[in-house]
Amino acid sequence: MPFKFTEDFKARAEKICAKYPRRDAALIPLLHEMQKEAGYVAEEGMDALALLLGLPYSRVKAVVTFYTMFNREPVGKYHLQVCRNISCHMAGAEGLLTRLRSRLGIAEGETTKDGLFTLSAVECLGACGSAPVMQVNEKYFENLNDEKLDALLEDMKHGRVQR
Amino acid sequence: MPTLTIDGKPVEVEKGTSILEAAQKLGVYIPRYCYHPKLSVSGNCRMCLVEVEKAPKLLTACSTEAAEGMVVRTVSDKVKAARRDVLEYLLINHPLDCPICDQAGECGLQNYYMDYSLAKSRFKNEDKVRRQKRRALGPHLVLDNERCILCTRCVRFCAEVTKTAELEVMGRGDHSHIDMKEGKALDNGYSLNIADICPVGAWTSRDFRFKQRVWFLKKTPTICLGCATGCLIEAHHNENTIYRTVPLPNPETNTWLCDHGRLAYKAVQGGDRLVKGVIKNGLIDFEPALREVAARIDEARGAGAVAVLGSPWLSIEDNAALARLAKDALKTENYCFDFASEQGIKDGILINKDPSPNANGLRLVKDAHGGISQAELSSRIAAGQIKVVLAEARAAGLIKDALKAAGTRLIVFAANKGEIPAATYATLPYASYFETPGTFVNYQGLRRRTTPPAEAPEGVKPLWAVVNKLAAYSGSSLRLDSAEDALKGIDLK
Repeated sequence: MPFKFTEDFKARAEKICAKYPRRDAALIPLLHEMQKEAGYVAEEGMDALALLLGLPYSRVKAVVTFYTMFNREPVGKYHLQVCRNISCHMAGAEGLLTRLRSRLGIAEGETTKDGLFTLSAVECLGACGSAPVMQVNEKYFENLNDEKLDALLEDMKHGRVQR
Repeated sequence: MPTLTIDGKPVEVEKGTSILEAAQKLGVYIPRYCYHPKLSVSGNCRMCLVEVEKAPKLLTACSTEAAEGMVVRTVSDKVKAARRDVLEYLLINHPLDCPICDQAGECGLQNYYMDYSLAKSRFKNEDKVRRQKRRALGPHLVLDNERCILCTRCVRFCAEVTKTAELEVMGRGDHSHIDMKEGKALDNGYSLNIADICPVGAWTSRDFRFKQRVWFLKKTPTICLGCATGCLIEAHHNENTIYRTVPLPNPETNTWLCDHGRLAYKAVQGGDRLVKGVIKNGLIDFEPALREVAARIDEARGAGAVAVLGSPWLSIEDNAALARLAKDALKTENYCFDFASEQGIKDGILINKDPSPNANGLRLVKDAHGGISQAELSSRIAAGQIKVVLAEARAAGLIKDALKAAGTRLIVFAANKGEIPAATYATLPYASYFETPGTFVNYQGLRRRTTPPAEAPEGVKPLWAVVNKLAAYSGSSLRLDSAEDALKGIDLK
């Protein structure tokens, strides 16, 4: 089925575009809008957005693939985003990732079969002072270690962490 | 007009000139990957770093504007160290598959490594980032992302020259790679230029891949005859085989070359090439074919029923020879060198509205030798006054319906079988302009001569020589011993 923006989305998009001197400047805010609506930015959505903003498709795709905060596929209930940049890396992010991989049985970019967890390694989350950091959906969990991570996973499995 | 000093030499440049261009003016070469004179400045490869007095860090020569009193050093120890380091970075993930890479021999990485680095890598071979290799993108190109150094010349070419913007750098950091829309082909009519401007082996031409090592190739500058634009090109050839043609950038006509023009050389040595005569549909040797043609011309000649048609696809020399044949040997006034042509760049880049390369040259022949108008020729054909028409194949194609309707016998000169119009009575082969010199006048009025990179197949002669023989069969001599002889009497201005 071809992708179509809702009238509501189009109206919102026009409002957002009007905030900028150039129409194509609204690319990132609109990608956020799309992700808010569907949980991810669909391939066909990129085509439609490019058309809406008068941009080449490749430009939209380049931006979506550059930023790790845009999901290109539906994600699980909890999207675990482990920072892999230098401060977190030195503070043990690699170990956290390995632990998550083995505990959840998935690699980065994959979702568990029960649809509960999606694991991602992301770029700097801007919280180097409390490295290593993991963002779960919109929330930060800082100064993590193996024990904290295990406890957090348990809480999430039992629905004790708010989405 | 700022004056600056580069390596101790003062140079005055226009305001807005970059250090790299200023250095070029002095003949000082600064290495570069991402800089291209006809594309926007990106400044991402860092290969052109130079030392500028009073600047705290090295500056990229391609993106720094030359300023009054600037003192630039391009070969200091600091600059040398920077180049070595940039190359080390670029080569961290390079697959080093030079033995199987078509770019080897004309590769920016190889050349600069020899010139500026010669250092051993400190990174382990097995830690290299692997990416997709040998991915055919479109009908003309193969992309190898492992070899790519992300200079974005291809991205900028598609965005700025063809304005199709198919390509982009996708992903980020270590994951960055050149990509385009899944399932789409990279085919914008100019795509092979990407293989030219790619400074490494990431983009290679599907046509040229694995055909020849570049160091075996000899280079001959000549012109493209794909349309009236008449781009300057360089034919790369070895042992009488042309392997590719590339643009020869010049300020007058072209920086790039369209895919159609670039692959036009293939017709010359493909299976479609005509190397023998054709009578009706049967191939026969050149000499008997020529005798047959001469006999048919002789039959009609007495009644004044032979017509000769010039062609905008032929050189001035060959057209002039045809005019002389009609005027001096056949002694007929039924010859026409009159072609209407609408010229001008069609797509805003290079492709001309006029698909024939020499309409302007043909006009010079007409000025020198006269002849009847095309309308007049058509009416004489329609009136049944013409029994035999002698013409070049593509020009004959334009009037073939009129000839068929009038039952006129058509004799053509063709270099390729595909050009021969249906219901042609006889065809004679001639040497293409990759095999014989010819003068052409492009849409701008620039007169240019082809330089043949190859020799014609055995027994195939230039068209003026065939015409010379035909004249001899008709009992008169045109005394054409060279292409230059045919040019006599034509005012080339």
